[in-house]
Amino acid sequence: MPLTEVSETAVLAVPVARVWEVIDATDRYAEWVVGVLEVTDHHGAATVGRTYSERNRTVGPLTTRSTWTVERIDPPRRRVDTGTGFAPMHDMTNVFELEPVQVDGGEGTRFTYTVRYRPGLGPVGRLIDRLQRPGLRRSFQASMRNLEDLIVAEGPAETA
Amino acid sequence: MSVSRAADVVVVGAGLAGLTAADALVTAGRDVVVLEARDRVGGRLVNHDLGDGLVAEAGGQFVGPTQNQVLGLAAELGVATFPTYAAGDSVYVHGGRARRFGGDIPPDPLALPGLGLAMARMNRLARTIPLEEPWTARHARRWDGTTFATWLRRVTAGTGGLDLVDVFLGSAYGATAAEASLLFSLHYIAGMGDEHTPGTIDRGIAVAGGAQELRFHGGSQLLAVRLARRLDGRVVLGAPVRAVEQDGRSVTVRSDAGAWTARHVVLAVPPVLAARVSWSPRLPPQQEALFGRLAFGALAKCEAVYDEPFWRADGLNGQGVFRAGSTVCSMFDNSPPGDGPGVLMGFLGGRQWRAWAGRPARHRRGAVLRAFAQVAGRRALRPREYFEQDWTAEPWTLGGPTAAAAPGVLTALGPWRDRPFGRVHFAGAEHADYWNGYMDGAVRSGRDTARAVLAAAD
Ligand SMILES: Cc1cc2nc3c(=O)[nH]c(=O)nc-3n(C[C@H](O)[C@H](O)[C@H](O)COP(=O)(O)OP(=O)(O)OC[C@H]3O[C@@H](n4cnc5c(N)ncnc54)[C@H](O)[C@@H]3O)c2cc1C
Repeated sequence: MPLTEVSETAVLAVPVARVWEVIDATDRYAEWVVGVLEVTDHHGAATVGRTYSERNRTVGPLTTRSTWTVERIDPPRRRVDTGTGFAPMHDMTNVFELEPVQVDGGEGTRFTYTVRYRPGLGPVGRLIDRLQRPGLRRSFQASMRNLEDLIVAEGPAETA
Repeated sequence: MSVSRAADVVVVGAGLAGLTAADALVTAGRDVVVLEARDRVGGRLVNHDLGDGLVAEAGGQFVGPTQNQVLGLAAELGVATFPTYAAGDSVYVHGGRARRFGGDIPPDPLALPGLGLAMARMNRLARTIPLEEPWTARHARRWDGTTFATWLRRVTAGTGGLDLVDVFLGSAYGATAAEASLLFSLHYIAGMGDEHTPGTIDRGIAVAGGAQELRFHGGSQLLAVRLARRLDGRVVLGAPVRAVEQDGRSVTVRSDAGAWTARHVVLAVPPVLAARVSWSPRLPPQQEALFGRLAFGALAKCEAVYDEPFWRADGLNGQGVFRAGSTVCSMFDNSPPGDGPGVLMGFLGGRQWRAWAGRPARHRRGAVLRAFAQVAGRRALRPREYFEQDWTAEPWTLGGPTAAAAPGVLTALGPWRDRPFGRVHFAGAEHADYWNGYMDGAVRSGRDTARAVLAAAD
């Protein structure tokens, strides 16, 4: 079965270093990733080969438990994780890519949020997959906005 | 050992209760000294300086109808009130969605009918509680053997009613309904009134017509500052009291600023701190047990300052009600009166405090401001100043805003709450039947205790 890829990009008016700091923290995904209800297990700053677990919203009130393994870290540009627990979707890979850009004369970040997976369930799965993709895109955009808001709200380092 | 100084009465604690008691005793001609652990007066009342002579309250602040004791004191001290900003819509945040609404009760169609019935029932049951002796209520044992949450679950369908009561209790108890006895809660509600007006939960929750209706010009701490000024040098700051020793004739109080011997002592400190003083002879074990169990809830205030209260132009009053799962439980427009800066204030109470107090300050700030933004818009993310007052971290308060008794405490130990121990009398907001845990209760208790001291044979 072919891989599905859903990818969204947004420009955030916050510096790459701060974005990296937040996405690097495996205990913080519930604070900005839409659909993550809770991080149930984590290992602090992301480390290749180690895992973290989440409780995720699926459909309506239904939830699932997922576990992610950190596969690659190229600081402060790229993070690749693989995940389990999203059946019928499998071979799930999550990629965060950051690129410095100027925003209104200040430091900004072009953030690309990509997920790849195999839908499962044959033709029915592919149909469901097609239907769910717009929702996924919206949730990626919302997550990236959340991330920007979170960093803005936390303020510059000296106010911490 | 240093020589101890003498006074008729030593008052321990320069919060509203201690200062009110001291003021009444001085007026009655007694020689009084007030020993205060902190280097300021006011206890749970503290003003945060915003510059230009403006303040925002970081501790207790709201007053309302039937709180005649504190309102009377304020009038006497020349501290005026002004209405809490309430023009426009409030916002209800549930499941990440924010919805505007008018009035005090959020628009939750699934929770509302049950909650309304439960509130009516609470008020009805509260009316059956003998205010001075709640442990003698007809169903006292049963009600004290039940948590408020268990009862709420029984009388409402779903979790909406309980969640919304917990929003209120987050700031009122610094705890959830699961942590408080039903009997205690009914007594607390019964006290949300005065001698002529039965207490109701509605009055406790409401802004207009309720306990959040008014604030004080110059901030609530001004009451304490003015009382202390009137006491004219009788308040000793930086004087934590460590030991209280008494025999049949006098009491000696040992503090870091020296010892005082008096005929009577008014101990106007939070109950847990009263139990921690070194007592000779020992505090009656029942009283020690009770005071130990009246530990405060967990509460912090988080406040953000903006150049102006920008949300008002959008028809918002800055009030937010956050159902379970949010960072804060409720929030208010806490701007000083006039055209000055805008201030948003959120309560991190009970469950929310437990979730966030241990997190890095920066993460907490981010989460609180994002909650504010759900109510007031994204401009709330960029305050010019942000500050927090965590009352659990205050060694001379140990939590806030007050103590909610757990099941079993009132029926087993309640009668010991206000009982003088020899020449030592107890005062404080937790020793009041009307507005227990509130400024009004503190003032009432201070006055009642002063009367009791004056009535006691020398
Ligand atoms: C965040 C928060 C919000 C609140 N909101 C409201 C509100 O809106 N409206 C309302 O009516 N009430 C509110 N309250 C409650 C209100 O502040 C209190 O009920 C009231 O101020 C209590 O006064 P008190 O004198 O009884 O006690 P305290 O103010 O606690 O005074 C006790 C004093 O004793 C001192 N002390 C303690 N131990 C010792 C010792 N060993 N030796 C010497 N001194 C000692 C302390 O430093 C303190 O000054 C709030 C409280 C908090 C914390």
